[in-house]
Amino acid sequence: MQNKSLNIGILIIGFLTIIAILAPLVSPFDPSVIDQDSLLMPPSLKHFLGTDTLGRDLFSRIVFGARISLGIGLVAVGIATLVGLILGAVAGFYGGRIDGLIMRFVDIMLCFPTFYLILAVAAILGPSIFNIMIIVGLTSWMGVARLVRGEILSLKEREFIQAEKSIGASNLRIIIRHLIPNAIGPVLVSATLGIGGAILLESGLSFLGLGVQPPTPSWGNILIESKSTLGVAWWITVFPGLAILTTILGFNLIAEGLKKKMGS
Amino acid sequence: MEVKNLKVEFFSNKSLVPVIDGATFFIKKDEILVLAGESGSGKTLTALSITKILPNNAIITAGSAKFMGVDLLTMDEKALTDIRGREIAYIFQEPTSYLNPVFTVGDQIAEVIMLHQNKNKLDAFNEVKELLSLVKIKDPQRVLSSYPHQLSGGMNQRVFLAMALACKPKLLIADEPTTALDVTIEAQILQLLLDLKKTMGFSLLFITHNLSIAKKIADRICVMCKGKIVEEGSVDKIFDTPEHFHTRELINAYEKIGRL
Repeated sequence: MQNKSLNIGILIIGFLTIIAILAPLVSPFDPSVIDQDSLLMPPSLKHFLGTDTLGRDLFSRIVFGARISLGIGLVAVGIATLVGLILGAVAGFYGGRIDGLIMRFVDIMLCFPTFYLILAVAAILGPSIFNIMIIVGLTSWMGVARLVRGEILSLKEREFIQAEKSIGASNLRIIIRHLIPNAIGPVLVSATLGIGGAILLESGLSFLGLGVQPPTPSWGNILIESKSTLGVAWWITVFPGLAILTTILGFNLIAEGLKKKMGS
Repeated sequence: MEVKNLKVEFFSNKSLVPVIDGATFFIKKDEILVLAGESGSGKTLTALSITKILPNNAIITAGSAKFMGVDLLTMDEKALTDIRGREIAYIFQEPTSYLNPVFTVGDQIAEVIMLHQNKNKLDAFNEVKELLSLVKIKDPQRVLSSYPHQLSGGMNQRVFLAMALACKPKLLIADEPTTALDVTIEAQILQLLLDLKKTMGFSLLFITHNLSIAKKIADRICVMCKGKIVEEGSVDKIFDTPEHFHTRELINAYEKIGRL
């Protein structure tokens, strides 16, 4: 059976990734060069998607913003998956008190409204791309941890784990080489979904001014600059919004395709 | 190998329930000891307890398991992982579910070799090929790059045997290795096991509920019932003059099936 959603998703994300990597070649203008002769120009042949209040080319800004947004999404989810994988695997494998401790910590973390937690930390540490990656990563690992724990709980009772013990494999080796590879499927799905979420979080943060700081363009902070001119320049709001929408759609399609492919 | 007064208990509702209650037996060098008994009599658990491979809710409360003079039960986990697979190896009942589904069988046999013998991947894989021909697999190259679900049960049991023998163990514990296989394959695997024992020279603890197998291969038989070893002796003694009623029951069952 053909996996349509996976293919379309990969197509979208592949396309966006290539654009992000080749940003300097793709964009017709420098994203932060101010052009006083063309303020708030509507989309035209010269500026595909128009210009913003400072006369910067919107298309170029969105293309460079893709680097930041995709980068944050990938790194943040990378951190979240790694932390979740380790804690979940340890909790699931050792059980008992260690499990209780880790899972209660997960519950506590889940009690915080994540967005406000991120806001508070961002306000304290100061907003920078690096900080945002870490903050978003460290506040979104709980789902992964629960998922992995559940998988490990059922996997560790399987016979081949007993067999691994019988050939003299250490616990660490069993977890890393035998349990995690068997549990990786659902984790992959949730990670792909998570990237979309992380990009959305970054946009939200940037929109509130606690994310990526101007003049570095990110999809979120292009949006915030657009809100004062929404009445006269619709394009500054619509196009970055569309970029976010497409990306998240792409990742969600991949996630759904992966889920289908693994038959769960 | 000498096991004395082994006692394993399970936690259940905060109280301890003894499952193995004072098992005592010994295996001499190059000997085949058959541990026979009905399901649930604690045969498998006894075998696993020897190297402390236990479920989380089980503990060993008494006894000793001396292997070449050293008590395994008081050893720390790290020293034990060194013994498992190198000195004492296991094969199990359902080979397919005892192999990791996401790795090729070649990878898994190579893992044992790399764990215990300090060899690099290339050397390990060469040895895997030799091992696979040792257990009479005709096309080792194809088999070693297959996944467990692509092979038959009999094939997987051979693979498992190759894995167990990779480090030339001194004691092989076979936990009903042929129960999940059909009769012709069963006969092949048993013959293979006996042949390999002759050429490689290891002691064999063979667990089965099938007395006809016990009669064919055993040097001595231990009969287990409700967590205790109730009778022990040579094949002739067990079959000709069974003392314990449970032994008589098992023999009756075996003879009844023989008459069918």
